[in-house]
Amino acid sequence: MKNVLKSIIFVLILYLLVTLISYCLLPHDSVRKYGIIKTSIYEILGEKENTIDSVIIGDSLIYSGISPMEIWHNYGITVFDLAKSAELIEDSYKNFNIAIKSQHPKIIFFESNVLYREAKNKPWFYVWQELYKTYFPITQYHNNWKKYLFTNLNDSMYYSKINVYKGFKYITKTKPGLKLDYMKERNKINIPKENQEYFQKIFDLCKDNNVKLILISTPNMKSWNYGKYLGTKELAQKYNLEYIDLNVDNPLNIDWKTESRDGGSHLNYKGALKLSNYIGTYLQETNLFTDKRNDSAYESWNEAYNIYLEYLK
Amino acid sequence: MSYFDVVYFLAFLPIVIIVYSLLPKKIKPLILLIASLVFFFLYSRWLIVFIIISALSIFLAAKKITKIENEKKEAIKDLDVLTKSKVKATYIKKKKLILIITVLFNVAFLFYFKYLGFFTGVLNSLIKIFNVSNGFKIIKHLAPIGISFYTLSAISYIVDIYHGKYECENNFLKLLLYLTFFPTLVEGPITRYNEVKDTLYEGNKVTYKSFCFGYQRILYGIFKKMVIADRLNIFVKIIFNDYNNFSGPIVFLGAIFYTILLYMEFSGTMDIVIGSAEIFGIKIPENFREPFFSKNISEFWSRWHISLGLWFKDYIFYPVSLSRGVKKITSKVKEIFGMRVSSLLMGAIALFAVWSLNGLWHGAGYQYLFFGYYHFFLILMGNIFEPLIAKVCHLLKINRQNWFYKLIQIIKTCLLVFIGELFFRANNLTSGLQMMKQIITNFTFKGFNKTVITLGLDIKDFIIIGISLIFILIISILKEKKIEIRENLSKKHLVIRWLCYYALILSIIVFGAYGEGYVPVEPIYADF
Repeated sequence: MKNVLKSIIFVLILYLLVTLISYCLLPHDSVRKYGIIKTSIYEILGEKENTIDSVIIGDSLIYSGISPMEIWHNYGITVFDLAKSAELIEDSYKNFNIAIKSQHPKIIFFESNVLYREAKNKPWFYVWQELYKTYFPITQYHNNWKKYLFTNLNDSMYYSKINVYKGFKYITKTKPGLKLDYMKERNKINIPKENQEYFQKIFDLCKDNNVKLILISTPNMKSWNYGKYLGTKELAQKYNLEYIDLNVDNPLNIDWKTESRDGGSHLNYKGALKLSNYIGTYLQETNLFTDKRNDSAYESWNEAYNIYLEYLK
Repeated sequence: MSYFDVVYFLAFLPIVIIVYSLLPKKIKPLILLIASLVFFFLYSRWLIVFIIISALSIFLAAKKITKIENEKKEAIKDLDVLTKSKVKATYIKKKKLILIITVLFNVAFLFYFKYLGFFTGVLNSLIKIFNVSNGFKIIKHLAPIGISFYTLSAISYIVDIYHGKYECENNFLKLLLYLTFFPTLVEGPITRYNEVKDTLYEGNKVTYKSFCFGYQRILYGIFKKMVIADRLNIFVKIIFNDYNNFSGPIVFLGAIFYTILLYMEFSGTMDIVIGSAEIFGIKIPENFREPFFSKNISEFWSRWHISLGLWFKDYIFYPVSLSRGVKKITSKVKEIFGMRVSSLLMGAIALFAVWSLNGLWHGAGYQYLFFGYYHFFLILMGNIFEPLIAKVCHLLKINRQNWFYKLIQIIKTCLLVFIGELFFRANNLTSGLQMMKQIITNFTFKGFNKTVITLGLDIKDFIIIGISLIFILIISILKEKKIEIRENLSKKHLVIRWLCYYALILSIIVFGAYGEGYVPVEPIYADF
């Protein structure tokens, strides 16, 4: 019994110490404003307020396909991927709701694959990831010791540079996609009713915050098809939204032999360069954004880009 | 699920511990078997069938060999000496046949899963030279996890039974547990049945002490892997993939870092393996004994991957050196050149067999064969020149027990090991040779300092690596001096103990090389 008690006390003290160190290592201002857990779960809160031009919501298709650092380097526009693996639309709404508290993006891209994922298909690791981030926030930002160990802990303004990818997942693996006729014509597939209700909420949130909502379908031959394309197109027409379809007729000219990492489901880095460039050009042509590459207020993005290049080696 | 996966040490292992602790002593080994099969299944799915077939083959063969042995004893009871040896030979022949079939059967699986691709490639190259056909299609299979390890354990068991070293196991499930025991399954050590059977089947209680000691050892292993190996991985990957762009010293630094990485990864895994078993009161033999304190290559291999070295010694070196053919050759050489040359030759033939197989065991590739022959050459040279060196030292009055002499020996051994590991890690043999060429022909320190900190690790990373290595060095020196660190620590005041544990855990959490920008080292030996 004595040993059980001792073990419990040991674990409690350990948890206390972990929490204490988490406070020291998470981005200071963000923790102060949003609390330790939120800062850990929502990485965008580590960014300086009102510095993000555009955000992306969706699932792994889009976080594998768009690299904000490439867009920054080529266009000087700040983009952040909020997408999470196997994301459900209710979480897309939640994530965007949180992001909008610290950022005022002008454009939001919404990956259409999320529209067809039903809540009952919530993967097991989803809950585990949430718990992990909630109770061990330090694991998200532990590398900040590099910054804090050698500087004054009372520094008030420090925004984490550690989130170098800005939500992007860098994967170079190649596995060719073979199902080249995946967009052959078929009947429309309806979006589940519950997901439509959440989409309405996202639409309203964008309207209230004056954010332009754009639907986008990333190249994906495994879970996307013509029926889903028709369903998304109908939704775009209903809300009078712009819809970027990148599957019918392969407008990005994706080479499925070399530009997919898993047989046609997700793009690899080579494919992501194409899509990132497309999004960069699109954003630039809206004339809504200035080039911030030489703006000293955005120096951390240039620093992040240099680290990003190291990661790509 | 690797041993470094949070799921392993925070979910799988605790669940096994809880279930194991709740059930009666008799059923405890069964729980370990079920956990091991689940663990195997999570890795290799239906390839689990192959390990069961292997276990079944050695179980039945061992029973048969024991039966023949008993029959032999019965048959020769009342015979005269001459008939006795004749009858004995008949039974030994029968036993040998079963042994050979069983060993070949198990080696065939290993060959099929690991070497078929490599040897088909070699055959195709030969076919190409003689231009006789288009060659064969190279087939690659997903191998059952740990096949290189459990096959060697299986062979050791059946050979030992053949030699009558111990009684055969009559319970198939117990033998299956010996081969599949989840902590040793993926990366060894290659245990011997008689070394582990007592504690493995005992169903020992999980005590507060075994739990704490086990997890301390696991934490130490995680520290080595996550703080040092995973961090060095960034640097090593860049150098080995792009060696043409770096000067000799940088390439050599890459080889040094790879050797450290390999040691931290493999010995760290062994810490987790031994710690996991220790929780259940099971004693697994050590696989490393401070190898970087070795004074020559032979000693290095008696301290590095000990279980593999011992396996080759017992099941390849001795049988080859005592075989009829080798004896015949060496006795002829003895008549002409004398005893010393004959014993050197005997050793050389056996060593050649050992290092050819050792190289191949590490992987189906020419660089691994080269790695084996490199060590064969170094050990052979050591054996040949040892008397000469001893004579020179005696003449020059150099004390070989002097600490400075020992230090020079240690440094020399380390340098030779770094070169060997360079070939071991190189993408292929040509790359390894080119890297060596780069080291020799482009040896300049110009721009060294600047380049080192642009290869994925900054100065802060190097500080952490340095401090961690000093910590490991201190532990290693204490272990070399046979000081029981955990026993000593357990006698200290609670505050001191807890401070040490917290420091270790927190340093893993904060300084561990995980998350964005880091790619953890794949379990290197799991592929062998």
